[in-house]
Amino acid sequence: MNIVLARIDDRLIHGQVVTVWAKETKCERIIVCNDEVANDAIRKTLLTQVAPPGIIANVVDVEKAIRAYNNPKYESTKALFLFTNPTDVLRMVEGGVPITSVNIGGMSFKEGKKQITNAVSVNEQDKESFQKLHEKGIELEIRKVISDTKVDIMSLL
Amino acid sequence: MAAIVIGTHGKLAEALLASCEMICGPRENIAAVTLEPGEGVDGLVGKYKNALSTLDRNNGVLFITDLFGGSPYNAACRIALSEENISIVAGANLPMLLEVTSQPKDIQAKAALELAQSSGMQGIQVFKEVVTNEEEEL
Repeated sequence: MNIVLARIDDRLIHGQVVTVWAKETKCERIIVCNDEVANDAIRKTLLTQVAPPGIIANVVDVEKAIRAYNNPKYESTKALFLFTNPTDVLRMVEGGVPITSVNIGGMSFKEGKKQITNAVSVNEQDKESFQKLHEKGIELEIRKVISDTKVDIMSLL
Repeated sequence: MAAIVIGTHGKLAEALLASCEMICGPRENIAAVTLEPGEGVDGLVGKYKNALSTLDRNNGVLFITDLFGGSPYNAACRIALSEENISIVAGANLPMLLEVTSQPKDIQAKAALELAQSSGMQGIQVFKEVVTNEEEEL
């Protein structure tokens, strides 16, 4: 599998925003990697319905995403991976998926999280996971849309 | 990036820009121009020209207007007839605005116009209550 983009955006397939990234990266599939959403039939259906035209959307748990990555059938597939949080990204990386850069688009504010930009809020676990990803030499850049300037999240944690 | 001018009847232009920025963050090289009650096409042409004077026009200008044949559209047409590299679309909506403002910085007005038209049309969708499983399994 050819990972054209790994993005954290807890809105997941978020209308036009994903459409623009999908076009720009010329991905064939959008793979949402989240255990909870993969087990929620309604959210799963809604997500697959809003995929941009011509692009296949899959909603799978992290284990299945790792298996799909390693499946020879998808060797040349251009995939855009979507996550809701950095811990799931870390699980993928620790599971052997060679993600070299992570785009952070949106992590919404919730009680107990610290807001670091107007679109990104993190809790202690997120921070720890970003730190571990950083130590592995993975680029962690905040950008909502492709035309924005990259901001290194480590400078804000 | 092509300069973008949103022109509408009333405050829609400002609100559309605010909604777009809520999703995408601050956008550059863009202006919202409103036609207020009692104003006409002449006044609007002046407002458009003022807005254009604040924008970088090197990649052309795309006017996004609300109604085909309405005053904001007509005023934009007048400017297009006397100036170079101006494109105009009517039927402004949020999908259109998100699409054109999310493009790489070197996009030209003509390319932005095509994207505006296609994304504006594709942005109109209906909720399908019947649960279809169109997902191709991984």
